[in-house]
Order: sequence, then C-alpha cells, then structure tokens
Amino acid sequence: MTATMLAPTDLRGAHEALAGTSGPVEIRGAATAADWAGAPQPAPTVLDTSRLTGVLAYNPADMTVGVRAGTPLRELQQELATHGQRVAFDAARVARGATAGGLVATADSGPLALAYGSMRDLVIGATVVLADGTVARTGGHVIKNVAGYDLAKLLHGSYGTLGLLAEIVLRLHPIPAASRTVRLDGELPVAADRAAAVLASALEPVSLEWADGTLLVRVEGTVEGADARARELARLIGGSVLGDDDAEAAWARHAELVDTASVRIGCRPSRLAGVLAECGGTAVAGLGTGIGTVAVAPERVAAVHDVVTAAGGMSVTRRRPGNGVGAWGQRPSALRVLTAVKNELDPGHRLGRGRFEAWFGEEEARS
Amino acid sequence: MLDAAVREALTAAVGAANIVSDPVGLRSYECDGLTGFRQVPSLVLLPTDTASVAAAVRVCHEHRVPFVARGAGTGLSGGAMPVADGVVISLQRLRSVVEVDPVDRRAVVQPGVTNLDITRAAAPHGLYYAPDPSSQQVCTIGGNVAENSGGAHCLKYGFTTNHVLSMTVVLPDGEVVTLGGDSGEQLGPDLRGVFIGSEGTLGVVCEITVRLLRVPETVRTLLADFPSVTAAGEVVSDIVAAGIVPAAVEMMDNLAIQAAEKAVGAGYTLTTPAALVVELDGPAAECGEQFEQVKAICDRHGCTRLHIAGDAAERARIWKGRKAAFAAVGRISPDYIVQDGVVPRTRLAEVLGRIEQMGTAAGLRVANVFHAGDGNLHPLVLFDADGGELERAEELSKDIAELCVELGGSLSGEHGIGTDKACSMPRMFGVDDLATMDRVRSAFDPHRLCNPGKLLPTPRLCGEKPGRYRPHPLEEAGVIERL
Ligand SMILES: Cc1cc2nc3c(=O)[nH]c(=O)nc-3n(C[C@H](O)[C@H](O)[C@H](O)COP(=O)(O)OP(=O)(O)OC[C@H]3O[C@@H](n4cnc5c(N)ncnc54)[C@H](O)[C@@H]3O)c2cc1C
Repeated sequence: MTATMLAPTDLRGAHEALAGTSGPVEIRGAATAADWAGAPQPAPTVLDTSRLTGVLAYNPADMTVGVRAGTPLRELQQELATHGQRVAFDAARVARGATAGGLVATADSGPLALAYGSMRDLVIGATVVLADGTVARTGGHVIKNVAGYDLAKLLHGSYGTLGLLAEIVLRLHPIPAASRTVRLDGELPVAADRAAAVLASALEPVSLEWADGTLLVRVEGTVEGADARARELARLIGGSVLGDDDAEAAWARHAELVDTASVRIGCRPSRLAGVLAECGGTAVAGLGTGIGTVAVAPERVAAVHDVVTAAGGMSVTRRRPGNGVGAWGQRPSALRVLTAVKNELDPGHRLGRGRFEAWFGEEEARS
Repeated sequence: MLDAAVREALTAAVGAANIVSDPVGLRSYECDGLTGFRQVPSLVLLPTDTASVAAAVRVCHEHRVPFVARGAGTGLSGGAMPVADGVVISLQRLRSVVEVDPVDRRAVVQPGVTNLDITRAAAPHGLYYAPDPSSQQVCTIGGNVAENSGGAHCLKYGFTTNHVLSMTVVLPDGEVVTLGGDSGEQLGPDLRGVFIGSEGTLGVVCEITVRLLRVPETVRTLLADFPSVTAAGEVVSDIVAAGIVPAAVEMMDNLAIQAAEKAVGAGYTLTTPAALVVELDGPAAECGEQFEQVKAICDRHGCTRLHIAGDAAERARIWKGRKAAFAAVGRISPDYIVQDGVVPRTRLAEVLGRIEQMGTAAGLRVANVFHAGDGNLHPLVLFDADGGELERAEELSKDIAELCVELGGSLSGEHGIGTDKACSMPRMFGVDDLATMDRVRSAFDPHRLCNPGKLLPTPRLCGEKPGRYRPHPLEEAGVIERL
C-alpha cells in the first residue's frame, strides 16, 4: 500500500487534510523520532508537517514566539539568536532537524532540562487540529495565563495520537553571555557522588550529565560569573574547566550517545545511577533530572523495562527491539481516563495507531 | 436537598465526626474569596485520608450528586463556591507534610498543607517551594494545583505547573490514579499538565509531590520611584532587553501606594506616581553585577528615589507594602473589586492608559498593582456599594479583563475563571476551542458532577448565547487564523 502524502503549508491546509479525509492517519514531522515508542501501523494517509513552517509572530520584547509546528527548532533558534534569545531547550535530535511540534509531541528533552524543563514548560499556547478537522486553540501569547484547560500540555507526549499540533507559541529566554562546562572523567558511581555535591551547592548548574565515562557540568551567566562558578565547580568535583571547543566536542559526544540509545528512562534522580548500572550497556545519565538513556542489545530491552519498573520509573524504546518486546515498559496509572480522552478527541481512532501499542484497545476494537 | 440514603452513605464514607450539616456551620462554606457569589451547600465533608475522599466521591458519582473540592477558600474567581443540592469536600483535614527529600529535592504533601508550610518544612535543608502567591500563608497546595497559582517570583521560576512532579488524584467517579511520575519523563500525554489549572473540574487532588529549589545564594531588592507609570514600564522593558531575568518586578501606581502606606507604612513615597520593586537573586557576583545594571537603567528613566534593601528585614518591609496593597485599598475605598488580567508586557502603558479612560468614563477610581515582568495586571476597582456603584464597578472590572484579551492577552493570569469569568470565556476562545475543552471535561467527568458550572460557560449561567467572540488581534492582523 502506498500512502497518500499530505503536506499542508498552513492551518487551513492542515484542517482540510484532516477534515477532507477518512481512515487512519500518521502524523509525521522530520521523522527524527520515527523509531521511538510503538511502531506506527501503516496508514493510508500520512500528514507530513515538514512544509508547515515559518514564524507567525515574534516580538522580541515580549520574549514569546509563535511558529508553525513543522518549523525545525534549529532554524528557529538561528533566527532568535539574532535577537539574543533562544528556546531554552537542547534535545539531541534538534541538531538533526527535529520540528518544534515533533519535540512537543514526543516529550523530548535535553541537558538544559535541569534548569528549564522540557517543551511542556516552554509551550504557552497551541493551535491543534483534531481528527475530525476541528481547529482548537489553547493558551495564548502571554507567559502567564490560566484561562481554560492547558491542552498544549495534553498534547505533550501524545505522539500524534490526540491531534495535530499545527501552531505553537513558545516562551523564550535570553541567551546568556557565557556558558562554561566542567568535566571529570570517571565511572557512574563516582559521578553520581560528585553530582550530589554539585546539587547541594549554590552553584546553579543548568546541566549535569554523565555520558559514558564523563561527567559534564554546565553553568551559564555573565562572563565573570560563569567563569568564577566553573572554577569553583572544578574544585568541588576535582575536574577541569573546558575551553569552548572542547566543551562543544564533549556535548556533541553526549548528543551522539543519546541519539544512538535504544531506551529512554526516567526515575528518581538518586536512583538513576543504580538503575543504569543494572541495565548495562552504554548509558547517559541526567543526574539532576533522573532522565537517562541506554544503548543495549535488543535482547536486553525487556530486562531494562523490568529494572526501571522495579525502581518506580518509566521506560520507552527509541529503537524497535523487534522481538515482541513492548516499546513502553509501563502503562499509565490513569489509562482508563486517558482512553476516554482519546475517545473524545479522536473517536474513530484515526490518529497515530500503534504508537501506544494496545493502550487504547486498538486491536480488539478496530483494526 | 440530599436524601437520607445519600447522607448516610456519605457519612459512612468519611465518618460522622467529619461532617458539617448544621446551618450555621454550612454557612461558613457558602463562598470563597469572591464573596459576591454565594450558595450554601447541602453538606460539607471533611475527609481525613485519600481513601475516604475516594469513597465519598464514589457515593456522589453513584447518586449523581455534584461536589466541589475546597481548600482554604481564598480563591478569587468563585471556583470553590458550592453548588445547590451538592456537597463540599474540604481538604482541610488532609494537612500533613508526608516527606521532605533533600537529596532528590522534593516534598510529598497532602492537599490541605498551606503553600508556606511547604517552604517551612523544606527550609532546614536550604530548600524552598518556589511559587509564592501573596496568599501563601493560608492558601493550600491543593487550591494552588487547581488554579495553577503563580506569585511575584513566577517570572523567573514558573508557575505551579512547573513545580509539580506527580499527584494522587481521585477522579470524578472515585477511581484513584497517579498523574505524573518521579521525573519529567512521561508515559504518554501529560494528564498532569491538563489537570493542573483545571479549577477543581477534573477531580480531587489528594497528594502532591512538588519540586524544591535550593535557596539562592544572594537576593537583592530595590524600590524605585518614577515620575510616571510609563517611565517605570520602560525600565521593565530595558531590564528585559538587557538579558536580565529578574526574580520579580512589581509595579504600583500612586493610588495603590497611598493605600498600602496607610495600611502598613512600609516606607513608600506617598506622592510618587509610580514605584517599582525589582528583585534579583542567584550567585552573589552575577547578582551584584546585574543589580548595578538595573540601578543604571532606573537612573536613565528619571528615577526620583532609589531605596535598596540593606538586609532581610528591609526587604521584608518592601514586600509587605506590595503584598498589603490588595487589602489596603479597603482604607481608601469602602468597597473594591480585584481584577486579574494579562497583556503582552509591551502593551502595559497602553492598557493602563485605557483603564484610566474607562475609569474616568465610569466615574470610578482604579488602583493598579501588578506583576510588571509578565504583564499580569491586578486593577483594583474602587466603589461604594451603599452609593449604588456596585453594578457599574462590576461592569468596569469585566470590561478591563476583556480589554486585556483585546490587546492580545488573557482573561486571567492566576485567579482563574471559576464562576466569575465563565461568561467572558467566549471573548477569548471560539466555539470550537471551548467545545474541545468540554470534550476533555467529558472524558474525565461525563456526568458533570465535579465542580459543575465553573470554568466553561453554560447556558444556565450565561444565557443561551454567551458574549460574542471577538477575533484575537493576531487573527485580525492575519498572523493567526481560525477556520
Ligand atoms: C489576598 C489574596 C491574595 C492572593 N494572591 C494570589 C497570588 O499572588 N497568586 C495567585 O495565583 N493567587 C492568589 N490568590 C488567589 C488564591 O489564593 C489562589 O487561587 C489559591 O490557589 C487558592 O487556594 P485555596 O486553598 O484557597 O483554594 P480554594 O479557594 O478553596 O479553591 C480554589 C479552587 O480549587 C479547587 N480545589 C481546592 N482544593 C482542591 C483539591 N484538593 N483538588 C481539586 N480541586 C481543589 C476548588 O474547587 C476551587 O475551584 C490570592 C487570594 C487572596 C485572597
């Protein structure tokens, strides 16, 4: 079966794409997370967002930006940088062209999450197209806003199953004058120990990551301030302050490891090192956030799910193990109400079949 | 009226000692902080644990009895106002701090714990809970979750939603679930995110795990006077343009200052047209460097007096003046209405000008206190109910909120929609937007038992045709479109 490809360029086109078709639809962005979570079932229609691009509203003085959801975040960052601003978000796959909407839909995050959270913390508004073509707006263009339900958050992590994110509004932050990285080579238990010391200090790291043998701590601020704190951090953990090129290389290696991981996990930060040790494989650990990734052989994935579940955490694959092992290590506690939300917003279960495997009872109800 | 069988079942659910049914007792639950909306409930339940909340909700669900969760009742949008023939579920007896974990920097608390008590419990570890509504001494974390409450320091640190990791929630049919988890990682869509700020319409939150932050190394606070509100507004813009993210930037106009001074004598200048409170926090050296920049910006815009807090006591005094401003207007006016709207920060001067004109036209005074950093206004409409001004004041206040929407902002920055603004929602959202929100509500609460009549407009409340939707300014400019 060859799927019909629809690539709308604006909201009207996005509305028509869903209102004017029937049957299952796969929403696809830059396809940088195509292998994440459950495998999408082949759908007769693919809604491709790669042409749904462009900045809609940007007033630097308000520090908010509205974009079409297919805009690659990398390109948006370049434009914002000319005004000294950024979306304080640095997931590894941004460098591979991931779209702003795709990053929201997959609940991705990067090292900066320690200070700024994930896209859910940065999205202040969205325009969503539901499976029946309904266009619904949520939030707005102001940072502070409690009017109505925050549907942008509901779409965060929805993997294209609840609706199409057509436009999103993001909160921005100033690009700091300086960024410094402190590095210490060492095994995970040592890194975890040093990380605890860093977190107990008043040095305010924005990132605190162990990447397969290397602990990286980043601070941002004024030039003098960041320098001073980096030196203090180096003393505290017994590491060294990296020059700009070395820092860039170290973080690029970090991103590469994340990009090649097979499972992403999240748990209580203090349990992460122990969990990863049990998982085996090559690991990256957000020691302040509790979010990490591991690259393990397909036959180890089931064991990873078990280890994480036993520690009260969550796990999802980023590479299909292809041996009958589930993509999701756990089911949400509120699955019944989540299914009710799915049934309300997409009663025909058109969108994103397979991403959550059988959570919504797909196989039984409709195939 | 509730029938005897329902009363009996509810009594069994929470225990006879945890029920209020006498008329005098019930009266004290008839409204929240927005006292204009009143309704005496049929029964008030004061459950002491999650299991009895769930049991009570199951009884309500089975018998189709509407229920309203209630924290401290400080809400300002009529969110906790009871419904006729319904019950109130007060969370006041669920007030223990279950755990403070200094290593993973989080606390597990019951919903009736006050916002400030979380910080008190965390303080021995050098940690604190960041969102700080002015009502923090009394308002509960359960209420904060329901309203997605903010505070003066939310410009830098974010709102309740950015600080809640997970929650135990009793859904409207009595099922107990966990929303969120131990890290930011999610199992699918973020139901936690949609629950926070849902104003008690999607369930009852019974336990909350919040993030705690390390107390910053330094805090620097200044109070600066300006010859005009516009000049003060330009200072805020320049601070932001300089790449500084202040912990807080608060503005007060002359009327608000006069009121606050009369009430608490915090040392504000009685004659200044406008004053700014700017607070920076963080590592000492950087904080100091940026503080000098802020001072220079103030000077550049004709600052007429600059007072720097020399110590914690002086800082507390500055904040006392700011935080007292709401209640203090009672000293300069027999009655007042607190409004809560948001505009893009760059339109502050414009909105203040318009508010002044509208006030003059209505023959009423409006005092302004606001979170200038994020464009969140709290205009205080002053009036005299005995002088028959109530209706005009309510009209003016509503018009101000709707003006905020017209300028590209929001009907509410932190107080919520509740009963008060439900009928204004169609000014901000289109029919399909509201219908989509209603679909989500249906998924959680198909029988509309959980805080019914709040948040979304209903024909009963607003008439068959609630106020006409006005296109968003960006829509008119062709920037966004509605199909
Ligand atoms: C003087 C004053 C200053 C204020 N300053 C601020 C401020 O700076 N920032 C700000 O954001 N707000 C402020 N408020 C508003 C108010 O304090 C907040 O909205 C607060 O979060 C309400 O908490 P509460 O415990 O009083 O909730 P209530 O008023 O009892 O309830 C508020 C809403 O929450 C729901 N609710 C309560 N508990 C639960 C629960 N456990 N589960 C589900 N739903 C629940 C209720 O049904 C209701 O809809 C202020 C109020 C006053 C009176």
